[in-house]
Amino acid sequence: MDGFQQDILTYYDHFVIPFTVGAAVLFAVLAYKYCRWFVKLPPADRSLTLRGLFSRKVFGAIGEVVSESLLHRRIFRVNPLLGYMHMSLAFGWFLLIAVGWVEASMHLTEGYAPLHAHVFYKYFVPEPTGAAGERVLSNLMDLLLLFVLSGVALAWFKRMRSRALGMKRTTKHVVGDRIALTALWFVFPVRFLAESAEAGLKGIPSFLTGNLGEAMVGAFGSQFVSGFSTVAWWTYSIVLAVFFIALPFSRYMHIFTEIPFIFLRRFGLRSGEQKTTYDNFQIEACSRCGICIDPCQLQADGGLNDVQSVYFLRDRRYHKLSRRVTDNCLMCGRCEAKCPVGIELTALRLNSREKFSALPADDRYAYLGGVDRSSGSGRVGYFAGCMTMLTPRILSSMEKIFEAAEQSVWWADRDGGICCGRPLKLSGEAAAARRMMEHNRALFAKQEITTLVTSCPICLKVFREDYDLAGIEVLHHSQYILRLINEGRLEVVRQDTAFAYHDPCELGRGCGIYEEPRDVIRKAGSIVEADGNREDAVCCGASLANLEIGEEVQQQIAAAAAVRYRDTGASVLVTSCPLCKKSIGRAFGKTADIAEVIAGSLGG
Amino acid sequence: MSGKVIVIGGGVAGMQAAATLLGMGHRPVILEKNTRIGGKLNDWHRLFPSLTPATEVLEQLKSRLDGVEVLTGTEVQAVGSGEVTTTDGRRLEADAVIIASGFEVFPAELKEEYGYTLYDNVYTTVDIERMFNEGRVCLANGAAPRSIAFLHCVGSRDEKVSQRHCSRVCCITGVKQAMEMKGLFPDAEVYNFYMDIRMFGPGYEEMYREAQEKYNIHFIRGRISEAGETQDRRVQIKAEDTLIGRPLKMTVDMLVLIVGMQAARSNVPFAGCEGIRLRPSGFLEPADSFCSNVCSGTPGVFYAGTATAPKNVGESINEGTAAAVKAAGYIESGKGDAGR
Repeated sequence: MDGFQQDILTYYDHFVIPFTVGAAVLFAVLAYKYCRWFVKLPPADRSLTLRGLFSRKVFGAIGEVVSESLLHRRIFRVNPLLGYMHMSLAFGWFLLIAVGWVEASMHLTEGYAPLHAHVFYKYFVPEPTGAAGERVLSNLMDLLLLFVLSGVALAWFKRMRSRALGMKRTTKHVVGDRIALTALWFVFPVRFLAESAEAGLKGIPSFLTGNLGEAMVGAFGSQFVSGFSTVAWWTYSIVLAVFFIALPFSRYMHIFTEIPFIFLRRFGLRSGEQKTTYDNFQIEACSRCGICIDPCQLQADGGLNDVQSVYFLRDRRYHKLSRRVTDNCLMCGRCEAKCPVGIELTALRLNSREKFSALPADDRYAYLGGVDRSSGSGRVGYFAGCMTMLTPRILSSMEKIFEAAEQSVWWADRDGGICCGRPLKLSGEAAAARRMMEHNRALFAKQEITTLVTSCPICLKVFREDYDLAGIEVLHHSQYILRLINEGRLEVVRQDTAFAYHDPCELGRGCGIYEEPRDVIRKAGSIVEADGNREDAVCCGASLANLEIGEEVQQQIAAAAAVRYRDTGASVLVTSCPLCKKSIGRAFGKTADIAEVIAGSLGG
Repeated sequence: MSGKVIVIGGGVAGMQAAATLLGMGHRPVILEKNTRIGGKLNDWHRLFPSLTPATEVLEQLKSRLDGVEVLTGTEVQAVGSGEVTTTDGRRLEADAVIIASGFEVFPAELKEEYGYTLYDNVYTTVDIERMFNEGRVCLANGAAPRSIAFLHCVGSRDEKVSQRHCSRVCCITGVKQAMEMKGLFPDAEVYNFYMDIRMFGPGYEEMYREAQEKYNIHFIRGRISEAGETQDRRVQIKAEDTLIGRPLKMTVDMLVLIVGMQAARSNVPFAGCEGIRLRPSGFLEPADSFCSNVCSGTPGVFYAGTATAPKNVGESINEGTAAAVKAAGYIESGKGDAGR
C-alpha cells in the first residue's frame, strides 16, 4: 500500500460514498451546463465576457456576489426577517464550510485529508487535545450551526405563515423542488444530531453539540449513542447526496448560477430580442423566492395566480412554456423592479413570445410604401401615435401649446400615419415591427427636424430603444412642455387645483421619466401623491403587452388602481399616456392628460 | 285583499305598473329620484316606428295615475322583501316592491375618438331628440347641415368600453332620426355607419327599407374609427366600408352618435340586497328568462322595464303590467307562491 492509499483509508468509512457521489454529480452537471452556455453565447457576448474578466469590473462583481449571493441585501429591503432567513442559510452555510475547512486543516494532520474528511470532520477527528484553539473553533462552529438552524426554523415557519415574512403569497413548487427542499430542511438538523452524538462519544467540548452529546451519552449510554451516530452520519451523507443531485435540476441551481450571472451582467451582457444562452444564466439564477408574486396586479386584482414571473421562468426552464403564460403579462415591470436577483424578467418574457409569432407575408406591409401624410414643417416634429389619435383632446391640447409657444411643427401623423411598431414588438412580431420602424425612421430622417416630440410613452420607448435617430432628440411631451415653460415660451397660470398623478409604466419604469411630468403639473396646480407611485406605480390594466386577459380583468385592474388615486382626495387625475387616460379614466372619473392640464391653464 | 306596493322608478314601466295595480284595487306608491315622473320619455320627441309623439304616450300613462302617491326626489338605497330604504335613510314598508329603475344613456365622452363635447358638431341621438323638441335643429353656428353621418353602436357591443351587450333600440332609433333629418333637410346627404342592422320589432324592417328606398339614406357597413375636426368646424371621419373592403375618409357637417343603453349605476346598491343579482352587463338578472322574467330571487320583489335589459317603450310597458299582476298575485295569495 502506498502513502496515498493509506491516507484515503485513514479518512474513510462507507457512509461517505453517497456524499461523494452526490458532490461529483453536482459539480459535473454544473461544469457541463456553464461550459455549454458559455460556448454557445453569441460571439459579441463572449468577447464582452473575456474583456470583462481582465477589467476592474471583476472587483465589482466579487463585491456583488458577496452582498447578494451570500448576504442577500436586496431581500432585506423587502423584509428584514425574510432577508435574515436567506442570509442565515447562504452566508451561514458558507461560513460553516469555510471555518470548517480551517478547523479540519488544523486537526486532520495525518497526511492528505480528502473533501469528505472536511465535511464529516467530527467523525474523522482524533480525540481532542484540549488546546485553546480547538475549543474556540468548535464553539464557533456550533454558533454557525445555530445560525443556520435558525434560518431553517424560519423557513419552516414561512411555509406556515408567509405573511410574517412580508409575503402574502409564496411560490407553489414542483416535485423536484419539493425533494430538494425536504432534503435541505433535513441537512442541518441531521448534521446537528450526528455531530452532537460524535462530540459526546469523543468528549469534544462545545456549548451546543458538546453539551447535547454529553447529555445523550449520560442518558442513553455510549453503546446506544454510538449506534445512533452511525445512523445519523449515514442519514446526513444521504440527505446531502439527495440535495446535491437534485440541486442542478431544482430551484437551488440559483445558489451557484447567481455567481456567473452577476459576473456576466457586470460585464455588460443583456437579454434581448433573440434568445441566447445568457438567458439560461438568468433563468437558472431564479431562486423562485416568489417575491415577484405580490407586486403582480394580475394576481392581486385579476385573480390569476399561475402566470407570474416565477412561474414563467420555471416553465421556460423546464421547456413547458405555454402560450397562455407567455402572453399573460402586462410587462408593467413591477416585478422586475422588485426581483432581488435582478433578472430581466420583461426582456425574457418578450423574447419567449417570438417562438409563437408568425412571419408576415411578403406583401403584408406593401402598403407602407407610399404612406406620408405628414404636414407642416419646422425643427420640431410631433408624433401623436395611434392612441393619441384616439384621445383627440390630447392632440388638440398639443396644437394649442405649440401655437402658444409660436413653434412651427412638422406633424408626422396628424392626418394618419404608421404605428410606431411597439405593439407588434410586444406581441413578439419582431419582424413585422421592424417594417414599421424602418418606415417611420425613413420618414423622420427626410425631415429637417432636430427634436421629435410624442405624447405617447409607448412610442417614446420604441423611438429611444429601437430607432436609430442620430441627430434627433426624442422627447416625451411632458419633457418638451417643461422645457417650453422653463425657457419662458409658455405662460402657465397656476390654479388652486390638487391633482393626483398616475405614472404610466412605459414612461416611468420604461423610460425613467418621473420628475418632468410632476414639475409640469406643479406649474398648473399642486400634486397629491398616491400610495404606490414612481418605481412602485401601478399599471392601468390596459397594457398592450398582455395578449391574454379580456376587458373584465383590465377593468378590475383599472378599478383597483383608481381606488389608490381616489384615496388621495384629488378631484382630477392626471396622467401622461393616452392609453392610461382611456383605461383609468373610465374607472376614476375626471382624468386628463398633462397636455390638457397645461392647455387649460395657458395665460397671456 | 288590498296591499301597498312600492314602485321604484316613474318611467314608462313604473307608471304602467302603478296604473295596473291601482286598477286592481291596490295602493301603489311611486318613488322617483327626479323632480318629475315620465323618465326618459320626457326627453324623447317621437317614438318609432309609428312616429307617435312621446307626449301622447306620456299623457296617456299619466292620466291613469290619479290617486297614486308619487314621491319625487326620492332615491332608493336598498330593497328587501316588504321594505325599501331610501338614500336619505327613510325606511318605507310595503307588501311588495317593483323595481322599474330603468337604464342610463351611454356617456359618449368615453369614446373620446369621436370627439363628443370636443368638436362643435358632434351630437348624440339624445341631443337630436332634444333639438326636435326645442323645434330647432341646426349646426353649432346655426346653419342647416348639408351632410349628416349617424354612427351606430356607440357604447353597445363594444368591449373597449365594457359594454358587450346589444342595446337593441339604437338601430331603429338611427333609422328613425335619419328619416326625420332627411325630412327636415331634404337636400342633405344622410349616412348610417353600422356593423349590423338589427330590426327586431314589428314595422322596423319596413321602416329600414323605406329609409333606403324613399329617403335615399346611405347605409355603410363599417364603424367609424376616429373623427377629427376641420378648420371650418366640420367633422372628418375615418371608417372602413367593409362590404367593399376599403378604407374611407369623408367630411360631414354633423356627426350623430347613436348612444346605447347601459345599466343604471343605481343597480349596484340593489345588487347588495338579498336575492338580487346583476348580469355581467350590470343589468338586473331576473329569476329566470321565461316564466319568472319579472321576478327577483326575493319573494315580493319584482322587476319591470329596462332595469333588467335594454327594451323598447312597448316592451317596458308590458313588463309594467306583468310585474303588477305578479305583485298583486303575491299579495292576494297571502304572500305565497302565486308571486313566482
